[in-house]
Amino acid sequence: MGSRTIGIIANPASGKDVRRLVARASVFDNREKSAIIRRALEGALNTGARNFAYLDDSHNIAGGAFGEIDGDFESTLVPCLKTSSALDTTRGALSMRDQNPIANLILGGDGTSRAFVKGWREAALLPLSTGTNNVFPILAEATIAGAALGVLACGGVSEKEVLHRAKIIDIQIEGEAEDIALIDAVVTKDQFIGSRALLNADVIERIFLTRAEPTSVGMTSVGGLVQPLSQDEDFGMYLILDNNGKIKVRAPIAPGLYENLRIKSIERVGFNESIEMIGPCILALDGEREREVQAGQAVKMSIGREGPSVLDVRKTMELAANRGFFT
Amino acid sequence: MVAKKKNAKSNLPSQKVLQELHMKMVRIRRFEERAGKMMEDGKIPGALHLYVGQEAVASGVMQHLSNKDWITSTHRGHGHLVAKGGEFKPMFAELFGRSTGYCRGKGGSMHISNMDLGMLGANGIVGGGPPIAMGAAFSNRFKKNKNVAVAFFGDGASNEGSVHEAINMASLYKLPCVFVCENNGYGEYTAQSRHQAIVDVADRASGYGMPGVVCDGMDVMAVYEAAGEAIERARKGSGPTLLECKTYRYYDHVGVRGMGLTYRTDEEVEEWKNKDAIEGFEKRLIQLGVMTKKKIENVHASVGKDIDEAIIFANESPYPMPEDLLDNVYNEET
Repeated sequence: MGSRTIGIIANPASGKDVRRLVARASVFDNREKSAIIRRALEGALNTGARNFAYLDDSHNIAGGAFGEIDGDFESTLVPCLKTSSALDTTRGALSMRDQNPIANLILGGDGTSRAFVKGWREAALLPLSTGTNNVFPILAEATIAGAALGVLACGGVSEKEVLHRAKIIDIQIEGEAEDIALIDAVVTKDQFIGSRALLNADVIERIFLTRAEPTSVGMTSVGGLVQPLSQDEDFGMYLILDNNGKIKVRAPIAPGLYENLRIKSIERVGFNESIEMIGPCILALDGEREREVQAGQAVKMSIGREGPSVLDVRKTMELAANRGFFT
Repeated sequence: MVAKKKNAKSNLPSQKVLQELHMKMVRIRRFEERAGKMMEDGKIPGALHLYVGQEAVASGVMQHLSNKDWITSTHRGHGHLVAKGGEFKPMFAELFGRSTGYCRGKGGSMHISNMDLGMLGANGIVGGGPPIAMGAAFSNRFKKNKNVAVAFFGDGASNEGSVHEAINMASLYKLPCVFVCENNGYGEYTAQSRHQAIVDVADRASGYGMPGVVCDGMDVMAVYEAAGEAIERARKGSGPTLLECKTYRYYDHVGVRGMGLTYRTDEEVEEWKNKDAIEGFEKRLIQLGVMTKKKIENVHASVGKDIDEAIIFANESPYPMPEDLLDNVYNEET
């Protein structure tokens, strides 16, 4: 049986920002990311996958991994920009789409998946955590993640069975390019994008969540510790913070970094509803300060289930095992 | 039970801080541009390694330091001294080799220093600064003060044994030291990809047993925030940090020429110039209402005037006398 192509994308910048200092975040050096890809490749190869396409990242993380694997397979180098910014991943996603992979292994944090989806919204993803805010990526051993991708690529399960559409926040900024968030869009009083990480609870004004996870860190925990909202529920959550807010919560806004926050209101936001506001502010998207909104500039945010498809590793492996795929 | 606060966090910077950051960057840029021009015109002896393009790094780091905090610099050291509070008159005088210079005209560009400002010196030896900074940090520990030492070095120096030894020892003793790698992509004329198997020097931090952080060295606020955390960490006794700032020098390794070089493309230079730290910061300051366009123009004009006056001062200053040759070579205090 022939196998479909598996896309592989590694973000060189994930796991290295100021959260190593302010929070208690882990360092992910690029040698480790390369090792993760090697393990994923072994998993995929051992389930029969033979075709891969990998993004030519600026640090040769994926290329280095392929260079250390022997075997009967074909790999395609997908060119991309090397600006050392998220633009590389976004543009790379467009190039990757041309390879028609059945799914893409993404190494990074929430921001990496967001950057990829900005380029290719309908992509099928298996996001593996090598970043800091890791709500969207899963925590799984790369060998098994690769195996699940291999099962899918070889037809052991169907896309319909194991891929689930994620929620997504669409953001329109008056007169500027649109944007998205996969987990959280946060309005802050910050003045600069600076080191990007969202670390100061005092500046957070509003939080729009696709998921409110009590078992994760980051902005999702602020809602999650008060009123959990799962990925499966068809609505979002909108929190307004205020020093006089009556709901007090102490939440881990980054790994190992707890802050006191006071919530004034929590609203449910349906798929047909939107939130509007006027600048100035800085918008933090999926954990990082990303967009400067000028005074008087209008912002509109809405939520829906038109996000990327995400591979369910457990379901994939269980279905394949029950069907005798591995024996 | 709730853990006691608190991590050092960067609150919103005041307008004063933002204006000081801007002033630092403009002062460095204008000083270096003029010094480069004078070198080309043969009015400054010797070679100058100019800092144009990298202003955000020195400015963002130095904003957190006082004169009691030590720094060590590199062969590209003018920017560090300007950001640390160096005045134009003794700096130009030093470059001109005059007795009114910071080192009485005997140090020149690559050995310029000033103890009163906590500037332990530019250094002609690649990788020469970090061991000195580590020693300064050790002295702070020995004297039980809260001062820190910051070592600036480049991606090329990061391969030197002296740098490894200094960082290792600083980590071993948890010294109040911050190692700032200004990764401008080139060790002299050699691209980083031709002298290192890694791209992020900060990846080495875990090998030393300390945090490593990468930040955008073309964004003064990114540097300011990251350096603030690293310096605060050192100051409170939690040990050193390896902070890597991705940056770029617009000029050649030596001198002014920036375009038409064989070891890098003009397109690459233009790409980096599009991220210019000063232009981007000025645009944002205007958006925020911190400064007006007119006020920014006045800053540039004022700095230009200061430079004009400093050059006149330097030109009119005497050279050191032959009989002064051995003065101030050794510390004569007992």
